[in-house]
Amino acid sequence: MASKYAIGIDLGTTNCVLAYRTLEEENAEIKLLEVPQASAASTIENRYSLPSFCYLATEAESAAAAFSLPWDDNKDYAVGELARRQSADVPGRTVAAAKSWLAHSRVDRRDAILPWNAPEDVKKISPVEASRRYLRHLVDAWNNKFPQEPLALQQVVLTVPASFDASARELTMEAARLAGLPESLVLLEEPQAAVYAWLADVGDGWRKKLRLGDNLLVFDVGGGTTDFTLIGVEEENGELTLKRIAVGNHILVGGDNMDLTIAHVARNIFADKGINLDPWQSVALWHSCRAAKEHLLSEDGPQVYPVTILGRGSKLIGGTVTAELSAEQVKSILAEGFFPICKADAVPVRKSASGFRELGLAFESDAAVTRHLANFLRVQGQNGVSVQPSHVLFNGGVFKADIFKSRTLEAVKSWFGEDVESLEQNPDLDYSVARGASFYAFVKQGKGLRIRGGAARSYYVGIETSGPAVPGMERPLSALCVVPFGMEEGSQIDVPSEEIGLVVGEPAKFRFFSSSVRHQDTAGTIVERFNDTQIEETDSLEADLPADEKFTDMYVPVLFQSRITELGVFELWCRSTISDDSWKLEFSVRENQ
Amino acid sequence: MNRVELALRTFFWIFFKKEFRDKIAPYFDYKRQIGVEEEAEEKAVPVVLPQEKKTRRSDAVGLLALLQREGRLVDFFKEPIDSYSDAQIGAAVRDVHKDCAAVLERVFDIIPLVEKEEGTQMPVLPGFDPDQIRLTGNVAGNPPYNGILRHCGWKANRCELPLWQGAEEAVNVVAPAEVELN
Repeated sequence: MASKYAIGIDLGTTNCVLAYRTLEEENAEIKLLEVPQASAASTIENRYSLPSFCYLATEAESAAAAFSLPWDDNKDYAVGELARRQSADVPGRTVAAAKSWLAHSRVDRRDAILPWNAPEDVKKISPVEASRRYLRHLVDAWNNKFPQEPLALQQVVLTVPASFDASARELTMEAARLAGLPESLVLLEEPQAAVYAWLADVGDGWRKKLRLGDNLLVFDVGGGTTDFTLIGVEEENGELTLKRIAVGNHILVGGDNMDLTIAHVARNIFADKGINLDPWQSVALWHSCRAAKEHLLSEDGPQVYPVTILGRGSKLIGGTVTAELSAEQVKSILAEGFFPICKADAVPVRKSASGFRELGLAFESDAAVTRHLANFLRVQGQNGVSVQPSHVLFNGGVFKADIFKSRTLEAVKSWFGEDVESLEQNPDLDYSVARGASFYAFVKQGKGLRIRGGAARSYYVGIETSGPAVPGMERPLSALCVVPFGMEEGSQIDVPSEEIGLVVGEPAKFRFFSSSVRHQDTAGTIVERFNDTQIEETDSLEADLPADEKFTDMYVPVLFQSRITELGVFELWCRSTISDDSWKLEFSVRENQ
Repeated sequence: MNRVELALRTFFWIFFKKEFRDKIAPYFDYKRQIGVEEEAEEKAVPVVLPQEKKTRRSDAVGLLALLQREGRLVDFFKEPIDSYSDAQIGAAVRDVHKDCAAVLERVFDIIPLVEKEEGTQMPVLPGFDPDQIRLTGNVAGNPPYNGILRHCGWKANRCELPLWQGAEEAVNVVAPAEVELN
């Protein structure tokens, strides 16, 4: 059966969205799937987004089938709106930010660790399982609505942060497969999806907006993460094409951090009035501050806005407390704290002790995203000269507030002395990634412009430098490049290197590294003496070498072969040089530190 | 006409009156079978009730529960306000207003019935629908009339209430009691 729909799924840190369009018409409209979900016990509502939260039900709730769905009667958990509300009231039973955990290489992401700090008797789940549940819910919602066109038979694109490394991508893929997404599933970087959403809106008009040699910066600030991507405009056979030329590192700061900062200020105002807030009120304060932020930052917004926490019991007015936030105060805290006009050579402050710490996740110690941006443009440049973007595409709900766009444009202008143009984006920033992914699922059928990219990072295997072993000294580790930056999907490379000996009958294990800045390395390049600002360690790789009679020696000499499948999945193989055997190395997401 | 009678009449009219059939069909997304050409494009399918054994509760209670859950509306109306100052009430109302407005928007998508500015001329033609236009003031003679639009009217563009599937005993629960455990 042929696919009928091009489906884009945004598996976000705080919200999931599914967008779709038919494959049959050239200019079909992109629509959003209404997702039925529990909004309270025994209550189902349709929403366009599915909050990425999972509430683990008590036995009483499961027994009462309080979270039944149209397609499933017996659920011992609920995802979506109800779970989002529960995250405030029952944090110990609610999984949040599972996606940030997927990229967190210091924990076993297949291990049941969430909710982090949950009470003993709660049956925890793994980050992979949480992601699977969100995706499964979307699959079921789709199949419920289109029983004749099951999702597993459609063209599906799932988005991931550009800064996700190979192992986080693989775990996402694993969750997707378990959730019943099709084998042909393709992963797309979120900032690219934002560009596709823009392309879907402007159509062929993009050729008038961008010129040869332009650099488009995609600046994506989500709820919990910030992502940078640079896309260059190149020429091929007389036609303009787009090529992704760089992506930044994973930066754990986003809109939620802004709301928390404002809440912190408001809490002090309450404290000055002699009102100390309890934990329930603190959560309410956070939500209230989000609304206050949106009002105070809007163009014709008020000068002051009351932050109100309604009384908790049925006495609503009697228990209400209020503090006034001024627009000036909020603007200066957010603009100076998150979008300072910094220097072009600014370096994000690295401080481990302070900053935002929550849930055991390592939040950035420097919340200034413009400083991260300056750093990104500089490390992607050459000889200390930063890459100058000509256009910016803003993505993420944070940019609904114009002040953050104008601060960014101002900062960039101060670095280069020239204006940078902001591309007009569909105002519905919450849905653009899913819409762009749906559009990509359509164009990848050969029906429109594709952004060329290839591997967003270069990858390295750690090998011990040969030479005499010095007692008490670790042998120095070198990094052998196995995937060069930009390696294309559907290609494979035999990595030139010296033969590496693997011990027969034992698992072979390699430390594994990646870099978002070393674009010049080719397969076989050996980097000696590197530091973690250039090359970062990620999950190690492992393969089992079963004992076999034909290997008479203890060692099998091998060479590496790297592949990137058509679907964008990375594979590394060890090929024996004395037989036809080869072994695939798998990520070991378990034993890092 | 009671509901049973209405249901029976509907049942038979479907067989015998084509005009009625064509009118009714769109409610059930039933175009193809009665000869109206339609591509297999989807219609907004309401959430299907999973099983019949679940209790159906009154839509009015469902709406009230929704407004209470998201906008604290019942708390607001149940609280005597005489002893509070306007400023105290105002502080609370802002939130109740914002959240209840969001519910109305999402569930009903309420839009003006007449897309005209209030205070401008408004002709009323013969055969107008008194359910949609209410005449006030010096009402005499027969239409056409020419009057001033005083209120644009409201109309629900959709009506998508949450589906409730709880137990019989909870059918009238607007908000559950909350007990915090320490």
